[in-house]
Amino acid sequence: MENTSLAHHLILAGLLFVLGLTGVLMRRNLLVVYMCLELMLAAATLALVAFSRFNRTMDGAVLVFFVITVAAAEVAVGLALIVALFRKRGTVQSDALTTLRD
Amino acid sequence: MPDGLFIFFAALTLGAALLLVLSRNAVTSAMGMILALVGVAADFFLLDAYFLGVLQVLVYAGAVMVLFLFIIMLLDTEDATGAYPWKTAALGLATFFLLAAGVLWLFHWSGAVSPVKAGATPPELSVNPAEFVTAAKAFGRLLYTKYLLPLEIAGFLLLVALVGVVSLSKDNPETNA
Amino acid sequence: MPSDLSSLVHWILFLPLGAAVLSALFLRRAGGLAAWLSTGVAFAIAGLSLKLLTSATADVTWHVELAKFGGVSLGFGYLIDANARLMLFVVSFVAAWIHLFSVGYMKEDSARGRFFAGLSIFMFSILGIVVADNLLMTFIYWELVGFSSYMLIAHYFDKDYAAAASKKAFIVNRVGDLGFILGIAMCLSLYGTLDFAALKDHAAAAKTIPVAVGALLMCGFLGKSAQFPLHVWLTDAMAGPTPVSALIHAATMVAAGVYFMARVSFLLAPQVLDFIAISGAGMAALAGLCALAQTDIKKSLAYSTLAHLGIMGCAIGLGHPELALMHMAMHAFFKATLFLGAGSVIHGCHHEQDMLKMGGLLKKMPLTAATFIAATLSNCAVPFLAGWYSKDAIIEAAYHGDHIAIFAFLSLAALATCLYSGRMIRLVFLGEANSEEASHAHESPWTMTLPLVVLGLVYSVAGGFLAHTIIPAGSLKPIEHALGEVAFHLAAPSTIVGLLSLVIGFFGALKFYGTVRGADALQVVSPRTYHLLEHRWMDGLYRWYVDSVQRRVSEFIAFLDLLIINGVAVRWIGGGVPAVLGYLTGRSFHRGQTRAYALWIVLGSLFLAWFLIAR
Repeated sequence: MENTSLAHHLILAGLLFVLGLTGVLMRRNLLVVYMCLELMLAAATLALVAFSRFNRTMDGAVLVFFVITVAAAEVAVGLALIVALFRKRGTVQSDALTTLRD
Repeated sequence: MPDGLFIFFAALTLGAALLLVLSRNAVTSAMGMILALVGVAADFFLLDAYFLGVLQVLVYAGAVMVLFLFIIMLLDTEDATGAYPWKTAALGLATFFLLAAGVLWLFHWSGAVSPVKAGATPPELSVNPAEFVTAAKAFGRLLYTKYLLPLEIAGFLLLVALVGVVSLSKDNPETNA
Repeated sequence: MPSDLSSLVHWILFLPLGAAVLSALFLRRAGGLAAWLSTGVAFAIAGLSLKLLTSATADVTWHVELAKFGGVSLGFGYLIDANARLMLFVVSFVAAWIHLFSVGYMKEDSARGRFFAGLSIFMFSILGIVVADNLLMTFIYWELVGFSSYMLIAHYFDKDYAAAASKKAFIVNRVGDLGFILGIAMCLSLYGTLDFAALKDHAAAAKTIPVAVGALLMCGFLGKSAQFPLHVWLTDAMAGPTPVSALIHAATMVAAGVYFMARVSFLLAPQVLDFIAISGAGMAALAGLCALAQTDIKKSLAYSTLAHLGIMGCAIGLGHPELALMHMAMHAFFKATLFLGAGSVIHGCHHEQDMLKMGGLLKKMPLTAATFIAATLSNCAVPFLAGWYSKDAIIEAAYHGDHIAIFAFLSLAALATCLYSGRMIRLVFLGEANSEEASHAHESPWTMTLPLVVLGLVYSVAGGFLAHTIIPAGSLKPIEHALGEVAFHLAAPSTIVGLLSLVIGFFGALKFYGTVRGADALQVVSPRTYHLLEHRWMDGLYRWYVDSVQRRVSEFIAFLDLLIINGVAVRWIGGGVPAVLGYLTGRSFHRGQTRAYALWIVLGSLFLAWFLIAR
């Protein structure tokens, strides 16, 4: 495993992150957008673990532990919000939700 | 040349993520997401973070994505009809490549971030860096000594989230909650 | 010794400020308490000023520097020279008795607390002008005095007339103050200092003093002391309560201008002095005649004040500022007595101010009548009464200085004084009562009559004697010196003029105005003359100016403002830039599409990342 350098892991994390970002920008279904957001978060945790491993310390891993916890809580609340939004608006297509206009 | 296992799982993860981003069906996207998360968990294993890998599968891919699926099914969004929008997908992929190139350049080729040799400890790390161990027990001990406060706060945060979700989901006919 | 005395001055200056603050904050409802607090403080200051007057033999100075800009130092300090000591005593003494009078006069007024707070803040302001040792401090207190006057004139603010009068007073004063502040600026640029002592040295060293300096500083004097052409506010200021008229518009505030001119007399060029002398003398004569056409007792006294202010101005113009100050001191006493007496009469006749409706009050209000008559005789410069010392000295100075025109005007003024004084006595106190209220009049309470007795009888009559005994020899040197220069003897022109005016004017008026009952004799005999004297010519002139000239100019400027500033600058530039940018930023960005927002967030954070990391 010493053949796999830190850079490889980071590139993977980076690509995942960018993929998630593209999804956020492009998709119109709010739920899919949210999932892509979570993908970005997962990519970040991957980077954290990689750094933690290659710096011979556990602090990064513990941080990942907390990130996962917080992400779980956040997803719960976020989904509750989307449900509430759906009840009010009847849709989860972001194109239809344009009342924040000027 | 990176390890074979790593390449396999990396390809799996990226493919699943592509499925997530490019599929029109929300449930298919959710499946892709689960697969991507499993791939990330595998990468955690490859990085000797066993506890975290298991956690990722159990909590993230398990509970969180199941929740997602429940909501998708609850909201019963209709699938998009008609031909697959290749043009938009191509535009998306182009955006992806552009951004990816940008990110990679920024963090790898521009020299702003210098590569770290495996096994080296950077001098400016935290005051009391925890020693790298892979056992879950040691992980637990670390959580309850050095990171006790964040642990307690995380618990409190979960309580708050719980209360928030319950109050948001109240089906109150008078107020449009 | 000097440091003891400067602490006296601290007390004198800041006690009334304390009383004002206390009254304004806590005693608004407790009017009686505020009244006695202010009066107590006023008497305390009077006592302290007397101590200062009797124990100081040299100038008392004190100074603290507040700020320094470049080479100019601005500070707060006292310069208590002979003039200041005299003025301090006169102001505080007269004010103390007027405070006592107000306690009785304002008894039924519900806004007593506010009134006495106003009186106290006025005391603080006027004493500040008296003790100030530099131009800036004088100016600040000048404005404070203007504010106090504004507040007090508008005491009955629910009456439109009073509110308008207070505004008029303030605005006319402001016009004068414009010149004042320009004068201060000029002093600063010419001499680099605002300190009186330093300015005196500069002026002594300089060959000639620019006319402009004196002329500009004089503008403040014109406004505050109601000289031509800014005299129009004084008669309307009578809308305030009578004690206010007594204190502010007879004894002290209007005299502040005279005092100031005396302080900076070394900065006045000869042309400026000439102007002051001529306009002062002219005003004295004219105002005295106009007093004959007023039926309101207070307005008549206001014109009398205008006349005396003219005489004071004339004295300064003739180059005898000390004589002006001396007349100011005497005038303060007897004019205050006259106003307080008028107040007593008004109070006794249940707020009737029309002289034609009074009459026969000699029997009903003997004490008021006695003091009023004594003060009037002082006004007319009856020999050996207080007014005689100062007024005749000025007439004498005019004669000796070969200023024939001024002498003529002053003589006419003396005659007019006796005329209107006689008229007043006849209409108010002698003869039969002309109305219900007058026939039921009664003497005023002790709080009102005691001040009348003290101010009227004691000081109008015995002022000169007392002055010699209690003031240390030589401490009021400049004034004594000035008096000594002008010698009195029976054949002197001023005495002749005085006696003639007394006989012809005073007794003549007593007789003449008794001929018609219930109406003004002059109006009956010669309505044309009466109308000439009664009409407010200057006000008409100002009215015409405001309506025809000023309004047109300001409308034109408003139009320009609307066109250029509003139209071009605001609408085009202020509206154009956003309109152009808005096409890029407004319309397309803010369409409410969350994806677009997300894109911009991403791009922004990428830029930020590049900025922070890769640069």
